[in-house]
Amino acid sequence: MENILEVKNLCKKYDNFELKNVSFNLPKGMIMGFIGENGAGKTTTIKAILNIIKPDKGFVKVFGLNIDQDDAKIKEDIGVVLDDMFFPEVLTPNDINNAMKGIYKNWDEKMFQDYLKKFSLLANKPIKTFSKGMHKKLEIATALAHHPKLLILDEPTSGLDPIARAEVIDIFQSILNDCSILLSSHITTDLEHIADYITFINDGEILLSKTTNELLDNYGIVKCNTADFNKIEKKDYLRYKKSKYEYEVLIENKKSFKAKYDITTIDKITLDDLMVLMIKGEK
Amino acid sequence: MIGFIKKDLAIIKGNFKIMGLLIIIYALLSLFGDMDISFIIPFMSVMIMISTFSYDNFNKWDAYSISLPNGRKNSVKAKYIATILMILVFSLLTIILSFIISYVNSKNINYVEILIYMLGTIFGTLLVLTITYPIIYKWGVEKARIVMFIVVLVLAILGSLAFQFIDFTNLAKLITIIEDYLIIIIIAMALAMVYISYKISQRIFMKKEF
Repeated sequence: MENILEVKNLCKKYDNFELKNVSFNLPKGMIMGFIGENGAGKTTTIKAILNIIKPDKGFVKVFGLNIDQDDAKIKEDIGVVLDDMFFPEVLTPNDINNAMKGIYKNWDEKMFQDYLKKFSLLANKPIKTFSKGMHKKLEIATALAHHPKLLILDEPTSGLDPIARAEVIDIFQSILNDCSILLSSHITTDLEHIADYITFINDGEILLSKTTNELLDNYGIVKCNTADFNKIEKKDYLRYKKSKYEYEVLIENKKSFKAKYDITTIDKITLDDLMVLMIKGEK
Repeated sequence: MIGFIKKDLAIIKGNFKIMGLLIIIYALLSLFGDMDISFIIPFMSVMIMISTFSYDNFNKWDAYSISLPNGRKNSVKAKYIATILMILVFSLLTIILSFIISYVNSKNINYVEILIYMLGTIFGTLLVLTITYPIIYKWGVEKARIVMFIVVLVLAILGSLAFQFIDFTNLAKLITIIEDYLIIIIIAMALAMVYISYKISQRIFMKKEF
């Protein structure tokens, strides 16, 4: 399958944080959920992909082109929502429309106005009068209105109420034929429904990058007592957490685990469970 | 790039009222008093443009601008072009107004004097742009204010020392020799210094990370 985005061995060192050989691929027409706790490196990775920061090592290819050499060509076809709000607050959506007309060759004024209506945003109101959720909606409308082939969205649903979130997620799904999406989010339940791939970063390192089905179908949480836990070989689990009455053990393959051990309580995993156990669990 | 210029002009559109007020004050002072503050109008246009850097910085626009097509190059280019446009438009307005005031006051328009005065003013505003913009791109608006203060102070000290210790007779002679070409030389100098300043700013911004 053709990769729309290819991230290979990205390294970036700061005084108190480091991206370590970050690599993953996003195939065409797919949504990748990019998860990890605060400060894990999601935003730094996204900034490196967009050339906002320069990596010390590694490379990024978008649409098969190198971001360092074909920056303008690539960015014509990328829609972006960054973690921080980024529109000057004295501007109005009309001002944004006028500016973007002169920035993107494919800017679709009608589409932008349609999104403004859909999101109930007044075109002539200064952005400083908008709530955080309205601000996010405006950013999303701007990211979508030039028919991008790739959307890079850093926490696009933060600040949105559940109805607006569902609306935005529906829009993301509806444009999928022409567009691929890299979506970082803390709201992992949204990702379970829409993401085809999950990439999990922790402390600047990619812990896993797999299809969502592979993760949710194969991974599981074994709940057992101390005696049963002691029977499990170290190589058969990823992490474990000991609570007052039981052990929660994260396993990579439910099927082979069931075949090997006589332990029947294996719960389905959620992305939240996965994150908590991978970060807080013991090896 | 036009989009970046439009964005900067949209940011400062609220300030055009202040510019209008300044023009009225200038006209009143010139008509009913004997004060010429016309130089303030082009200078204010640069100051207003500098405020767009504060908005960019406060609203984290710079990082986003890099995610736009040719964002690193175009946002710097647009800032310089928008500022020069502002200087030229408000200088032209001031010139026209000065002609009218001159006519009302003395029934005679002193074209040469007004134009030379405004040429000097435009050169001064471009000098502010030349020095300030690379400093802002390097250190941000807040730190740039301190750096600007130090630069002005150093220039003032050097200037006063120069007047004390250097004999300017030769310079006066030189100016007499080049008198016929003075306007062309000033315009060429202005263009050269703005271009060098732009190149430095662009170099700084190309390497900047957010």
